[in-house]
Amino acid sequence: MASLIRLLESTRARAVAMIVIAAVLIVVPLVSQPFTNQTITRIAVFAVAVLGLNIVMGYAGQVSLGQIFFVGVGAYAAAITIRSEWATALGFWGVVVGFVLAVLIPGVIGLLISLAAARLRGLAIAMVTIALPIVGVPLAKRLSELTGGSQGISARAFGAPEWTGLDNDQWQYYVVVTIAAIAFALAYFLVRGKYGRAFAIVKENEAVASSMGISPYRYKVLAFTIASMFGGLAGFLYIAALQFTSPDTLSFGHSIELVIATIVGGAGSIVGSVLGGIYYVLVPQITNTVNPNSTAIVQGIIVLVVLFVLPGGLVSLPRAIRRALRRGRGPDGPPPPAPAMASSPRDNEERQNS
Amino acid sequence: MSTLKRRAMMLTAIAGVAAIALTGCGRGGGTTPDETGGAAAASPGITDDSLLFGISTPLTGATAGPGNCTADGAIAYFETKNAEGGIEFGDGKTRTIEIKKYDDEYNPEKSAANFQQMVADGVFAAGIGLGTPTNRAWREAAIEEGVPQVLVMTGDPLFNDRTESPLQLGLVPIYQQEGAAFGEVLAADSEPHKVAILYQNDDYGLGYVEGFKEAIEGADNIEIVGELSYEPSAPSLEGQITELSATDADVLFHAVSVVPRAIENMQKAQALGWLPSWFLPSNTASPGGVLTPGGAVKADGSLVYPGIYAVAFSQAAASPAFQESPEGQAYLAAVEEYTDNDGISFPHCVWSWIGAQILEQAFMAMEEPTRESFMDALMSIEGFEAQFLLPGGAINTTTDGLPAVQDVVLQSFNGKGYADAESFGG
Repeated sequence: MASLIRLLESTRARAVAMIVIAAVLIVVPLVSQPFTNQTITRIAVFAVAVLGLNIVMGYAGQVSLGQIFFVGVGAYAAAITIRSEWATALGFWGVVVGFVLAVLIPGVIGLLISLAAARLRGLAIAMVTIALPIVGVPLAKRLSELTGGSQGISARAFGAPEWTGLDNDQWQYYVVVTIAAIAFALAYFLVRGKYGRAFAIVKENEAVASSMGISPYRYKVLAFTIASMFGGLAGFLYIAALQFTSPDTLSFGHSIELVIATIVGGAGSIVGSVLGGIYYVLVPQITNTVNPNSTAIVQGIIVLVVLFVLPGGLVSLPRAIRRALRRGRGPDGPPPPAPAMASSPRDNEERQNS
Repeated sequence: MSTLKRRAMMLTAIAGVAAIALTGCGRGGGTTPDETGGAAAASPGITDDSLLFGISTPLTGATAGPGNCTADGAIAYFETKNAEGGIEFGDGKTRTIEIKKYDDEYNPEKSAANFQQMVADGVFAAGIGLGTPTNRAWREAAIEEGVPQVLVMTGDPLFNDRTESPLQLGLVPIYQQEGAAFGEVLAADSEPHKVAILYQNDDYGLGYVEGFKEAIEGADNIEIVGELSYEPSAPSLEGQITELSATDADVLFHAVSVVPRAIENMQKAQALGWLPSWFLPSNTASPGGVLTPGGAVKADGSLVYPGIYAVAFSQAAASPAFQESPEGQAYLAAVEEYTDNDGISFPHCVWSWIGAQILEQAFMAMEEPTRESFMDALMSIEGFEAQFLLPGGAINTTTDGLPAVQDVVLQSFNGKGYADAESFGG
């Protein structure tokens, strides 16, 4: 009975928190400067890309270094559709078609690739995914009639409609953040349900998964395909937010930046994906105001600090603080929990003190 | 995940969102030009004593070398002017110029974000940055916001199309101009020539070929005997060189942007015993970077090939003549004092310095502190002999379809460096 009450309380607390977050997110664009809205919009775009990567890497435990390829394909699918004459004639529904294609095409490509790649393990699957952006950039340049070649293409269909009375930055904010919120809700239910549990077992031990009747191959293909679709969705949002794409969007370096954002935010965590998006967008913005030549080095320092101090990513910060506080309270407080990541008590102490 | 942890996370999220919202500190807080009234209400980014100019360019990553130069040349120039008290504008007021640089890592997404940040920072105008996709990424946004995007360093003709790009202007010659400069000299020659063309299959290579073909149109003495393309990622062009050598052409139009391929091609042609005259684009014509490793110079200093031609518009900071001239010394001293650059390794530093001089001309001519007045002034510069242009070159911003630098000079390699080539073989 007591546990039931606790559950209800926690559910209610969670519901209240969700409502508060939703309310803040709805009100923010109405009172903020355009740049604030544009920044949150871009954070939402990359949070969705990181979320997809988190499903395949954080939850299903497969190394994917090609997520940006799916973002790029989604962006091109959206941009090419929205620019086309027939889609322009269709107006709003043309954008909807662009949305569907931006999710479907990367999904199909992801499915086909993972059907072959999921048979491999560890480094081999990483190698296959590395190939994607490496093939993608010259391909996007080569198909210049479709993609506009190395100069890139713009698709401007995300100005605020007049009936809304909103500015462009507010309209783009609402479009992108709403779609991103739905994507996060879908991902939340996915990883909480039976698929999430299956991913966890496949990640932990494939032999055990097989013995339980869970096919590691099928679930790897599934995780990879879903990640590709989230990547494609992020590509659509990319077009909604920036209205331009070019072959450089797909470059391998950006793919690694997404992997880094996943790790910094916290692998295997929904909230970590948001933090990863915040890291991806805010760090270059902040270094621009302090010292624009320091982008790469600041990113490197953050990655190292996170890996050494918070191996679970920024999302594990509250836990780390709580642990440090408990230890600070000494013998009066509750006993400290067993160290999760530390290899020795001394290591653990050093981490908490730093 | 424990309930406690979940709550902590929720709180973090809420706090984060609230913090971001608070930094916004209210919408529409700033004064817009309309509110202050008056015909000559100042545009954002300009006051009675200063002007803010933004440069978004690759400062880190693979293109950081030339990228930093695109910012540092202008910074050195304007810091020198600021130290002298500033620049007197056309409205009679003296202003200092503040350059704010933004790192885009040669990533269009970052440059588009940088533009949003520049608007938030209140720049008066922006530009000078390097890169085609990175500048294209915010071209339309700049037009929508009414922010001039000027003197960008890209060979993309779109930025010089006055109808498509009313607030834009390119600085450096477009690819077509370079190709045309060679075509004109070749067409004017009295001898008949057989030309082989090798080009990169993108806007770069196609631009060169387009300019060349337009220039030789109707010239009876020129016959194109072979034309092959390649993809920028191709690991070797030996097949193309072998095939073109069979045409026995006496001129090779070599629109190749990849330095290792240019070196290999130069070696391969010799190995095949094919010795044409070469036309090289300005970015793969470096004596030390391409010609020497390509084996184009014999041990006695003479050339293996009958001629090697390239196009230039600015003086090279590495040349002794540049370093001995008073302007050159002032340039090097300013770069040394105000930046971490050496000002020599990449020509973009000199180009950026030239761009800064063009901006200064526009500032001195603009009669009102507005972006409209600035664009009018910038687009009316004619016959301006900026420092470090090649002799006879002048800045002209009044021709639709062409960037600020319109005069390019064909040069031929003499075994040590480049010298102006009046005629083919001359």
